[in-house]
Amino acid sequence: MVIENILQTPLSNIVLITGFFLFTIGLWGVLTHSNIIRMIIGFSLISTGIHLVMISIGYLTNKTAPIINDEIKSELLTSVVDPVPSALVLTSIVISLGVTAVMLSYAIQIHQTKKTLSINDCSEMKW
Amino acid sequence: MVNELLNPIIIIIVALATGFLLPIVDKKNKSFTVVLFFMALIWIGLIALNGVVNFSSGAVAVEVITAGISPPFSINLQFGLFESVIILATTLIAIMTAWLMLDQLKENVSTLVLFLIWVMGIDGMIMTRDIFNLFIFIEITAICSFVLTGFNHNSNALSAGFKAIIAGTLASSFFLLGVMFLYYQTGTLNIDDMVNNQSLITGVIGHAALVMVLTGVLIELKPYPINGWALDVYQSAPSGIAAMMSVSVSAAYLFVFYKLLPLFQAWVPMITLIAGLTFVVSNFIGLKQTVVKRLLGYSSVAQIALIIMAITLLNGKVSVSLLALITGGLFLNHLLAKSALFWLAGMLNKTHVAQWTNLKKSPVVLFLFGCLLAALVGLPPFPAFWAKWELMMQLATHQQHGWMLLVLLGSLLEAVYLLRWFSGSLNDVKDEESSSPIRINTVTLWLSTVALFVSGFTISHLMGVSITPLFAPILAALFLLLFDELTGKTKAGITCVIAVFYSYDILLHLTGINWIFGLMLLMGSCVFILGSMYRDEQRRGYFPLLLLLIMSLGTLLQAKTSLNFFYGWELMTMSSYLLMNCGKNALKSSFIYLIFSMGAAYFILFAFALVFAQTGTIQLDAMNTISQYQTLIFACFMIGFLIKLGGLGFHVWLPGVYSETEDDYTAILSGVVSKVGVFGLLMAGTHLGQTINDEMVFYVLGWLGVITALLGALMAVFQEDVKKLLAYSSIGQMGYIVACFALMNHLGWVTAMYLSVNHLLYKGLIFLAIAGVIYRTQTTLMYKMGGLLKNMPMSFFSALIGIIAISGVPPLLGFGGKWMLYNAMIEKGWYFQAGMAFFASAIAFLYLFRFIHTVFLGQRKSEHKELVEAPFSLLIPQVLLIIAIMVFSLNAKWLIQPLSDAVAVYYPSTLTWTGTFLQTSQGYWDGYLVMNVVTGVFLLPLIILLLVSTTTKIQKVKQFNIVYAAERPDKPETTHVAYNFYAFYEKALGFWVKPRATQFWNSVAEWSHTMGSACRILYTGNGQTYASLIVLFFVIIYFV
Repeated sequence: MVIENILQTPLSNIVLITGFFLFTIGLWGVLTHSNIIRMIIGFSLISTGIHLVMISIGYLTNKTAPIINDEIKSELLTSVVDPVPSALVLTSIVISLGVTAVMLSYAIQIHQTKKTLSINDCSEMKW
Repeated sequence: MVNELLNPIIIIIVALATGFLLPIVDKKNKSFTVVLFFMALIWIGLIALNGVVNFSSGAVAVEVITAGISPPFSINLQFGLFESVIILATTLIAIMTAWLMLDQLKENVSTLVLFLIWVMGIDGMIMTRDIFNLFIFIEITAICSFVLTGFNHNSNALSAGFKAIIAGTLASSFFLLGVMFLYYQTGTLNIDDMVNNQSLITGVIGHAALVMVLTGVLIELKPYPINGWALDVYQSAPSGIAAMMSVSVSAAYLFVFYKLLPLFQAWVPMITLIAGLTFVVSNFIGLKQTVVKRLLGYSSVAQIALIIMAITLLNGKVSVSLLALITGGLFLNHLLAKSALFWLAGMLNKTHVAQWTNLKKSPVVLFLFGCLLAALVGLPPFPAFWAKWELMMQLATHQQHGWMLLVLLGSLLEAVYLLRWFSGSLNDVKDEESSSPIRINTVTLWLSTVALFVSGFTISHLMGVSITPLFAPILAALFLLLFDELTGKTKAGITCVIAVFYSYDILLHLTGINWIFGLMLLMGSCVFILGSMYRDEQRRGYFPLLLLLIMSLGTLLQAKTSLNFFYGWELMTMSSYLLMNCGKNALKSSFIYLIFSMGAAYFILFAFALVFAQTGTIQLDAMNTISQYQTLIFACFMIGFLIKLGGLGFHVWLPGVYSETEDDYTAILSGVVSKVGVFGLLMAGTHLGQTINDEMVFYVLGWLGVITALLGALMAVFQEDVKKLLAYSSIGQMGYIVACFALMNHLGWVTAMYLSVNHLLYKGLIFLAIAGVIYRTQTTLMYKMGGLLKNMPMSFFSALIGIIAISGVPPLLGFGGKWMLYNAMIEKGWYFQAGMAFFASAIAFLYLFRFIHTVFLGQRKSEHKELVEAPFSLLIPQVLLIIAIMVFSLNAKWLIQPLSDAVAVYYPSTLTWTGTFLQTSQGYWDGYLVMNVVTGVFLLPLIILLLVSTTTKIQKVKQFNIVYAAERPDKPETTHVAYNFYAFYEKALGFWVKPRATQFWNSVAEWSHTMGSACRILYTGNGQTYASLIVLFFVIIYFV
């Protein structure tokens, strides 16, 4: 029954749910793991989840690829998927790559100066 | 061609192109890299400047379209007046920051590139109208911020940077998800399109999307409690980077918030609440903070919250230009002052507030530091002063009274910790490290300070204020500051001449009560300045400030509008505070004075705002048309003015200040500055008195007055310090004046003004006389004086005349004052109050006798044998004051008639004159006759006594006639008659004068600090706590 339901749901919904699932796992990881590397992995999961959600938003079931040129008649425009989210996701991936790189270099620096990778050891400033 | 080069899209092109070029150029020529870097920044600045010039003269905002397709299918940038102003301001800060940090930045070319891209990201955030593009610029800015925070590998900065990454990444994740769902529902990424199609944003998805975007933006605006990471960054990042984060990045986020605000209409009350909470809580926590940069961080967070509050409370209710004036004024102020303070903190490299001492040794730095802090606190003439004024007026107009109180409370708390920092910097600490003058490059600080003055000037001009009378005092003081190298006496002479001419000019334009107070305050000050010549020191800064004080009094007296009045009031507070710390340090008590005065000013501001809400104008003359909250408004004025004149409960600052400041300045404080409070009372009385039907408030005020008179006198009785004795006496005297004012009739007000003139004359006289005594004896303790009659007969004579006048016995003018006081009270039916006033006068005899007896009479100390009379220049004003006292005693009509005429405008006159014969409804008085009779009565015994003393042999008691019963007391002063003079009365009445007010205010202070520590326990320092708070914050916003 459950499996049948899943099979009937459109692909985009499965992607959407998976995306949110990844997002939640990532968030959970960030909040519960005190190791900085694990937190960074959590953040990667969050961004991957968001990317999946983004793609699923643009995808329309039973629509074709949005490759349009002058020969294609304008009615056909309604039968293609939305290309914008896919374009945005590329940008977003690049950005999350950059952020992950910064995080990892921070991890290296923190390890070099403090000899630790625990976020709990980074709380010397408070109040 | 030029136009093409100044196209706003060039901002992004220049930054990116230079960013790629720099590493290549760096390989060839290091110094050219720096040139190229600055050229790019300056180019961006020029584009913005060009925009400001064009748009302020009315040009239409430019829309930059990319990719050759019109929006929403392409990204468009908007470049109008707001955008260009913000970009110009942030770029200028960036250029100065980069210049200050150049040594650190140029070590590695990638840091330069990052800095440039950072600036581009900020500018992009400001200009773009595409929400996904906005996300990209946010990320660019954030990544640069992260890296620059930790680029010097400082351990603390790395911790802070990683916490910032956690918060920033969560913020951008929320933002991106929200943006995607908004796109899903509206089908557009263009912000304007999205706003126009808001109706498409519906259901759970729409709600969630908006909450996500809002959370993303809010996290970066650093509201309490999700701003712990930001405070860590402010504390540990290199000062320049912290400055940029605090002002430039915040500017961009504020503008983003403003752009997206139409989408968040449903959340406006909630955002206001969050911002209000942030403003107050941050300032509470600031009280507990001792690390300078973190302190500035709390102030930054609070300032941004204040601006958000202004936007959310007033957006749509006032015109865009007015909103821009308020928020722009607040922001420009924050931008210039906060960045400069961060730079200064970096340059001085003093981590803790307690290390900021001895700044008096570096007057330039102290001046700049003072100006920047004054701007931040919102003192005139800086932009925040005008903006806060306008904010209050508009909030009152829109009935946002609760928010007004919140803003004032937060501002007061902020003033406490900022001004405490300033106060500490005046402290002279003897240690090797901090006592040498500071050598730093002050160019950028000067630029910021000048910009603050200029922008304050511009904003007041935009508000339509006539600027000349307002800025003249400051310009005159700055001008006099140029001659600070001259000797003290020369400067006193110059100041006196300027003050006389200024007073003459002002007095020509005044009438009625204002004219009388003008004569009192301005001419009084001129007389007292003459006394200032008695000292040989250079007294740096004293005379410019004195001139500022006098001219601010002039501004106050001339004020036709509430804004001018308030401006003069604040200027007077500021200059009188600074004067207290010129020369001697009265740091602790003068700081209390300052905080109480700030509180007083906020009460007055609140009252003026309530008036404005009803009349719609700032003209003082329109005040009597109000029909709501009259009693509340009047009460606020009363509290404000009572604080200044030291009414009971608010007097805690007064004795300390009077006793610790320079002796000649105490005369001005007691004689002149305290009268400003009386002037304020009369200002409120003349404009509001008629509108109040409820007599209760006057009744309470009357009782407060007589109780102040009684307890002031009682406290004076138990003092050992002569200046404290006179200070408490001043409090008591002010009590009489307040009580008379509260009568709200002709005789009452005439008496109040008559007593004010009297007090100016005799208390000024006594303070000047005692200044000479202290100058010679070098002590203020009465038991260390005694028998000075022989050495200083002239000072004795002044003091004698002073105390005869003050005690209210015939024949001097004090008698007339007391006589009119009882008349007025009995006329009103206030018998108990009259009785109490009488009792207070009786107590006054005790302390006055003690004063004259223990200082001038009795045994002379052997070490005082060689003392000579007080300096000549100190005696001149005393002679002038004695002449005035004598003239007005002989012919009271000369004084009372003008007072009576001035009051007759408001209440019908009840005084009738026949020659020198004054008749009230209760009785009559003839000052001339009384003088003659009393002179006769006293002359007779005097002659007899003189005869007796020449015929019989009198043995005088000598120093060694006193025997100690063979024991040497361990506290020698206890055997002195003047010590604990009224011990028996203290046993009987001492419980009346326990320092209850001081205890009360101490507990208020302690409670506030405890509140601060309670609020900051959420800042555990742990990045994961902060992340959890962010998630919790999102959940709460989602469900509320």
